[in-house]
Amino acid sequence: MPTQHWKAYAPDAKAPWDLRRVVHLHRRAAFAAPWDELQRDLKAGPEASVNRLLKGTANGHTPDDFAPTAEVLADAAVSAGDINRLKAAWFYRMLFGPDPVGERLALVWHDHFATGNTKVRNARAMHRQNELFRTHGRAKFADLLNAVARDPAVLEYLDAPTNRKGHPNENLARELMELFILGIGNYTEADVKEAARCLTGWSVDADVFAEHATRHDDDSKTVLGATGKWTGADLLNQLLKHPATADRVASKLVKAFFGEGACPADAVKELARGLREHDLDVNWACGVVLRSRLFFADANIHTRITAPAEFVAGTARALGLFDPAPSTLAMADWSARMGQDLFDPPNVGGWPGGRAWITSRTLIARANYAAALIEGPNAGRTTAYDPVAATKAAGLGATRADVLAHHHRLLFGTDPTAEMSTRLAQLDGRKLVIALLSTPEAQLG
Amino acid sequence: MLTRRSLLKSAPLLALAPTVPAFLAKTARAAGPKPETRALVVVQLDGGNDALNAVVPFADPEYAKLRTKLRHDTKRLVKLNDSLGLHPALKPLDKLWDGGHLAVVPGIGYPNPNRSHFQSMATWHTARFEEEEIRASYGWLGRALDAGGGESCVVAGDAPQAVRGRRAATIALTRADDLLLADPAAAKAAVGRTPQADDLLAFVQRQAVSANTSAEKIAELTRDRSDAAYPATALGQKLQLVARLLKSGSAARVHYTSQSGYDTHAQQENAHSILLSEFAEALSAFFADLTAARCADRVALLAFSEFGRTIKENGSAGTDHGTAGCAFLAGPGVKGGIHGTAPSLTDLVAGEPKMTTDFRRVYAATLANWLGLPAEGLGASIAPVTLFR
Repeated sequence: MPTQHWKAYAPDAKAPWDLRRVVHLHRRAAFAAPWDELQRDLKAGPEASVNRLLKGTANGHTPDDFAPTAEVLADAAVSAGDINRLKAAWFYRMLFGPDPVGERLALVWHDHFATGNTKVRNARAMHRQNELFRTHGRAKFADLLNAVARDPAVLEYLDAPTNRKGHPNENLARELMELFILGIGNYTEADVKEAARCLTGWSVDADVFAEHATRHDDDSKTVLGATGKWTGADLLNQLLKHPATADRVASKLVKAFFGEGACPADAVKELARGLREHDLDVNWACGVVLRSRLFFADANIHTRITAPAEFVAGTARALGLFDPAPSTLAMADWSARMGQDLFDPPNVGGWPGGRAWITSRTLIARANYAAALIEGPNAGRTTAYDPVAATKAAGLGATRADVLAHHHRLLFGTDPTAEMSTRLAQLDGRKLVIALLSTPEAQLG
Repeated sequence: MLTRRSLLKSAPLLALAPTVPAFLAKTARAAGPKPETRALVVVQLDGGNDALNAVVPFADPEYAKLRTKLRHDTKRLVKLNDSLGLHPALKPLDKLWDGGHLAVVPGIGYPNPNRSHFQSMATWHTARFEEEEIRASYGWLGRALDAGGGESCVVAGDAPQAVRGRRAATIALTRADDLLLADPAAAKAAVGRTPQADDLLAFVQRQAVSANTSAEKIAELTRDRSDAAYPATALGQKLQLVARLLKSGSAARVHYTSQSGYDTHAQQENAHSILLSEFAEALSAFFADLTAARCADRVALLAFSEFGRTIKENGSAGTDHGTAGCAFLAGPGVKGGIHGTAPSLTDLVAGEPKMTTDFRRVYAATLANWLGLPAEGLGASIAPVTLFR
């Protein structure tokens, strides 16, 4: 893309390819990385590192039997109808999957097309939706949207099956316009009513999408100024053509990959223009974003509140807790305590995110998760984390200054400031790492 | 239920709510529980409690006809008078009843009842009846706290619509350790100085200071573990936590919690028995604990369910969604006895009894006569039931 804002990043004296930027890339685009992967990418340079992430081969800790194991875990959760096990199966993917960007995007779309199992009450449907986000999460937005709008969990969640000719239920139509595609201000109440008529007859039969011609209102409708005997498919096509659609997709990706105030409004507009020129290709946009100077700019480093699932999976990954790994059931529970209960967003608007992640209860949960992960049992690990061994493995000594230096580099890519050293001066060993993970700084990424 | 659209609109408001409600800060300064700070504890019985088998009209021959499988043996009931008796599993409430500290309200409900769990519960939460009104409305307690001052403490994952208000602050916890730090020393050291700046890091730092303060206060409030014995049930544990907060002088006006599982469509007998027994044992332990700690006088407890169940049992030894239900009020300030009349089992609408007491009259009494909060938000014509001494 032509552009003022989205020029490709090339390291220079002002923005060198250093550990700080490697840590930033992994925290922001994926779920953080352990020391060996950071070192690998520090040597490999930005182009190879970003390519590896985009190609879905970034994770050096993916076990050989990852794919079958991930499938077995999800299948078992579905057979048991146990949503908690399904949450755990997703954390298994975040922890071990080869494609962390793909998982991050699945999380982005779960938040965007928010669907709650509290109402859907169907682990199989929630799993299928989750797979849909994995399959289409970086495709053209049209493919993703067409799949989502026919997804049984979404349809049940938004009461689509009760929307029939003469008995309109506007829920799906409204959220398609307000939240999923256009955004407020780009349609009228009359458009919502007419859009609901287009969608009449869309339903779910035995867990599968079904279109009932007899329940469809096939009279003429006027949506966004165009009149015709529109069907649901026609409606989606028309919404996809609306210029606001690209704006909304661009904003969503910026929200995912940029910190507070780090991406100028002009840059979002420019990304939206590029998306329109590229047929709303999400993969293209991700490539532009993750290769850009803007993404690696100082203003974008360490300026975003890490979402609970990212904090939970990212902390375990950064510390290299792969064997024994924490219990993924426990990880899902900790994420819920921090305010992000997977498969159960608070409402169709998704998680408010940003500063709203931070409350007394959630900060205490974050600090307690740090303690649980380091000490072991409350995170389902039989052994405690050994900070000195990790520090030595990174080539440092065994003093508390070494332990602090190593873990500060691991989490932030920098050496601790004098202020941080003073702040944590009374602590040593595991307590020191717990405190470091509980700092306000560690909640940003 | 969720009334997702209204939640969507209120999400930013919730995010702005103070993280340390004043009642926590006040409590720390208070020397001990003040008798004049009356508190209400609400226990929401989720799923639709079978009122007909909880408060049983044993003298009515219709009862035995309607309930061929599920009817109680009259001899086993806890007799309240010549016509009504409590489910045998409610026996632990004896002491409260005998002391004149238990009020039973049969036939409680609202006009044109909706048999959807969510719609009906939302009606109880808001004391509103039209779908749009329900969506746009704050809760009955939230509105009263907004108008009269005070805060609520919710022992659940999230604040129910009932306590949501424009201003009224709420703190929600599912278990005491939600607000207890595993390693307070490490967490305290981690925060650092609160900077004057207004950037993201400063925001998190300020919140972290609040979090540590909350944790400290909650730790203080719940440190006293000299409780009477509590049953090891979910509701028992929740009420134990509420009691610890109250005993330590929590200044929250409303404590809100719930017991779920009352949606008994099949094989009801055993399930219902277990639920009511859990309910009665938890209540009994709760008041015994408060009485021993000499702070029962400032506490009243209201238990309700969104509806009663069908008076006829269904084909699978269960009952379906019905209409009028029953409510319980307990506490030394409560005027014990049966308030109102049990609904007729023959004068029916759509096969179900007509309610005899509008639930808003119980709300009105609770707000005006117990908490001393404005009850105008319920509607001008709502006369309180004389439920308090």
